Amino acid sequence: MSLPRYLGRKAAWYLGALLVAILLNFLLPRLIPGNPVDTIVSSLSRGGVEGSQLHAIHAHYVHEFGLDKPLWQQFVVYLGHLAHGDLGVSFAQSPATVQGLIGQALPWSIALQLPAILLGWLVGNVLGALAAYRGGWFDRGAFLGSLFTSSMPYYCVAILLLYLLAVVIPVLPPSGGYSFGNSPELSAAFVSDALTHYWLPFLSLVIVFVGGQAVGMRSMAVYELGSDYVNYDRGLGLRDRTIIRYIFRNAMLPQVTGLALSIGTLVGGALITEIVFSYPGVGTLLFTAISQNDYPVVTGLTLLIAVAVLVANFCVEIAYGIIDPRIRASSRGER
Amino acid sequence: MSAARFSARFYVAAGIVAAVLLFGLVAPLVFRTHQVGDVVGGLYDHPSAHAWLGTDNLGHDVFTNLMYGTRTSLLIGLVAGAIATLLGVAVGTLAGYRGGAVEEGLMGFTNVILAIPSIVVLVLISIALGTRSTLTLAVVLAVTSWPWTARAVRAQASSVRTREHLDVARLSGAGTFSLICYDVVPYMLSYICMAFVLQVSGAVLNEAALSMLGLGPSGGVSLGIMLHWALAWESVRTGAWWAFVPPTLLLTLLAFALLMLQSSLDELFNPRLRRHARRRRTARPAALPLPVERPVPEGAAE
Amino acid sequence: MSDTAPAAPLVRARGLRAAYRSQRGSDVVAVDDVSLELSGGQVLGIAGESGSGKSTLAAVLSLTARPPLSVLGGELTIDGEQLDLSGGRRPPRTWRGSVVSLLPQGAMNSLSATTRVGDLAVDVVRAHRGRVRRADALDLLTDRLDALDLPRRVVDSYPHQLSGGMRQRVVTVLSTLLDPKLLIADEPTSALDVSTQRALTELLRELLHRGLVGGIVFVTHDLPVLRAVADRIAIMYAGQLVEVGDTAGLIDDPRHPYTAALLASVLVPEPQIRTRRVGGIAGAPPDLAAPPTGCRFHPRCSLATDVCAEQSPPLLGTIGAGYSTCWWRAEHPDEPLEARL
Repeated sequence: MSLPRYLGRKAAWYLGALLVAILLNFLLPRLIPGNPVDTIVSSLSRGGVEGSQLHAIHAHYVHEFGLDKPLWQQFVVYLGHLAHGDLGVSFAQSPATVQGLIGQALPWSIALQLPAILLGWLVGNVLGALAAYRGGWFDRGAFLGSLFTSSMPYYCVAILLLYLLAVVIPVLPPSGGYSFGNSPELSAAFVSDALTHYWLPFLSLVIVFVGGQAVGMRSMAVYELGSDYVNYDRGLGLRDRTIIRYIFRNAMLPQVTGLALSIGTLVGGALITEIVFSYPGVGTLLFTAISQNDYPVVTGLTLLIAVAVLVANFCVEIAYGIIDPRIRASSRGER
Repeated sequence: MSAARFSARFYVAAGIVAAVLLFGLVAPLVFRTHQVGDVVGGLYDHPSAHAWLGTDNLGHDVFTNLMYGTRTSLLIGLVAGAIATLLGVAVGTLAGYRGGAVEEGLMGFTNVILAIPSIVVLVLISIALGTRSTLTLAVVLAVTSWPWTARAVRAQASSVRTREHLDVARLSGAGTFSLICYDVVPYMLSYICMAFVLQVSGAVLNEAALSMLGLGPSGGVSLGIMLHWALAWESVRTGAWWAFVPPTLLLTLLAFALLMLQSSLDELFNPRLRRHARRRRTARPAALPLPVERPVPEGAAE
Repeated sequence: MSDTAPAAPLVRARGLRAAYRSQRGSDVVAVDDVSLELSGGQVLGIAGESGSGKSTLAAVLSLTARPPLSVLGGELTIDGEQLDLSGGRRPPRTWRGSVVSLLPQGAMNSLSATTRVGDLAVDVVRAHRGRVRRADALDLLTDRLDALDLPRRVVDSYPHQLSGGMRQRVVTVLSTLLDPKLLIADEPTSALDVSTQRALTELLRELLHRGLVGGIVFVTHDLPVLRAVADRIAIMYAGQLVEVGDTAGLIDDPRHPYTAALLASVLVPEPQIRTRRVGGIAGAPPDLAAPPTGCRFHPRCSLATDVCAEQSPPLLGTIGAGYSTCWWRAEHPDEPLEARL
């Protein structure tokens, strides 16, 4: 199969998956027993709004969300809005738009996770490679430690770290992205304040990520160490460091894939870490939206999470198709 | 080569899992001083002889909550794990054994579900459901997690399919269903066993994550719900460790033990993973093993 | 050819012993007191059943033994330079590749999938000759390819872009790039079809003829291949050499019952052998963790007597010229074995 055809097939496939994701986002919230508008209006009625006003509000919302039209028309309207980047208006924080709320939260999430993922990936791979190469007690210690931190649910790491480093030994602030009373701006005072709030959630993410990467890298490297080409290269008298370079070049490929895929989970990967630290990112926004039955915000976020993952996976497959000679070979049927 | 022997790691892991199971299933029958929902004290009372692990934000006994919470979490984990494994094995075996259009269709479907992050589907379904019983939640978790197993089992099944004993069974006139049950599935039992362990641990952790987002089982207590309330009522920042440390440790312990159980089973069934296992002369797989998270549509490679 | 064995052979190995350490701590001695000699310009074939220890011997000779295999003892002299293998001493890295080189089994997996042939060649040259310019190292490779009528395009190829036979020949060129004195070929032909087998054995002969390789130890289970390529053949059984001799002499008149049985189990389309009955060898190779006492072949030998089970057989002949180890032969020096089987 030629490269363009390979790319075409992948693109078509991922478009299909995207469509399914959009459909789920559209349909499932509309299955809520007695649609979302009823829920909002009934919560308003508890707030003491009068009956005639309630009817007017109800009618207004039903019209605004297009609930009086047939389902397929609603879907067309929904798609049209999506195409313009319009995710609707928040129920709970009306008139704030969903895209506006997400736009505020997303930078915090990315700033928190991107460095954590990169650093964790780097440290984890070095650790795993060293463990495989050195063997012995270092291997056993590093492997068990990594297995433990990587099998620990990431939110448990977050909770325990928060308790240890902000409450038992209060060296770091326990919550938020910046101090209460401060407001986001580009000043030295704010940045340093934000940084002190940054370390704790950052650390909790790095620890988990290092463990997972180290376990993966170690098993790849152990597998490569036992392979025939290592034996042959030794038989040719190659230096150890040359052989190690070969091993890591082979073992790295899946690890790089792993890195690209984790960047795809950037949006939805650490929702609960943010909740634990009340960090003003996507996770906290989702948490609040769920507790307030703010469906437009919830579905906006789920759609964003799905799209991010799909795009990352798609990019990885494309990159694989172009870079890895073995994949290209197998797709041409040379094997 | 020694015969099939369990490693020390296996016994440690199995011991921890058994202890947690015992705690969740038997302890509620033994310690019956308090019932779930009984108010036995005030906001975050310290541990005492009356309430061994203190009280939570509503004045409920944390120890009682912990027992019943463990029970709920285990129940969800086991039920969801069983359903997901069953679904995955059924779809995977059928696809792998039948091949052709059946395989293309089933695996295409599986891969689409795999491509969409499960947290998205979980959140959407949970919201759509409104109220969620323990069992409903287990089913929802199972519905989003079976594709892993299906894809892995399909690969196994299609390799079993080409073995000679199946030709013999086919020639002796066995039907497809009995072939799959008696001649295909038994060869994958070790694999299915490991998949089940992974599914259970995944379901327990996903339940906790959903509960912490506020989408846990309604009207009950689980380890995740305990954490949800502990976080919402600032127990961590006020230093009420008894409200959040026990469920955190229990979840960690359970997750670690299940993973260790799985990896020691894997080592037992695939001796090649052992370090310094003797070099085998067989050819290695064509491409490097890709991480399982990678949603590659099966049909696209041909 | 070999009856004019020179006073100082190219390769001289004495008392090689190597064992696999099992997890329970017990050793499986897979090569037990093996001594051999090889003259310059010659091919010594080593034949045996699987499990006879021949691949282990190849690992020991090529200095590539690694855990769980460990070399317990022995002495290797190549072209006057002596190497003591006893006591877990690690052989110098620079010996591998330039003094002794390995031609491995299964060229498919012997090349790292993400490394081009040319890059590997550069690394090989640099590993032995220090800082060499990349272009100079590549020249060495292309000159060698030209000399052996192999296409230059392989320099820029990844392993998967080469056919199986080409890959094996490229590996051969890489193994002999630094003109090693001794090449250990470990079943290089077993994964190839007959015509590529022939191309490879011709390539090896060519390398010997041009003096690019000092001598070759060719390990295989395939007697017909050895017949075509080897000057001398050593037969290995249960970790020991039971017979060494000229190819023609050994095949026409085997001195050891095991050699005779091994020959009888092979189909050879030669007129004088056509009448021979093809037979298997009764029994199974012994467990090397607990080898039989006395002669290791005695439980499967139709000529065995009491002494065979009790004492190790004598060495009849010399290590340099050829020998067999057999009690029966000691008493019947001139009787042909074929009739007795």
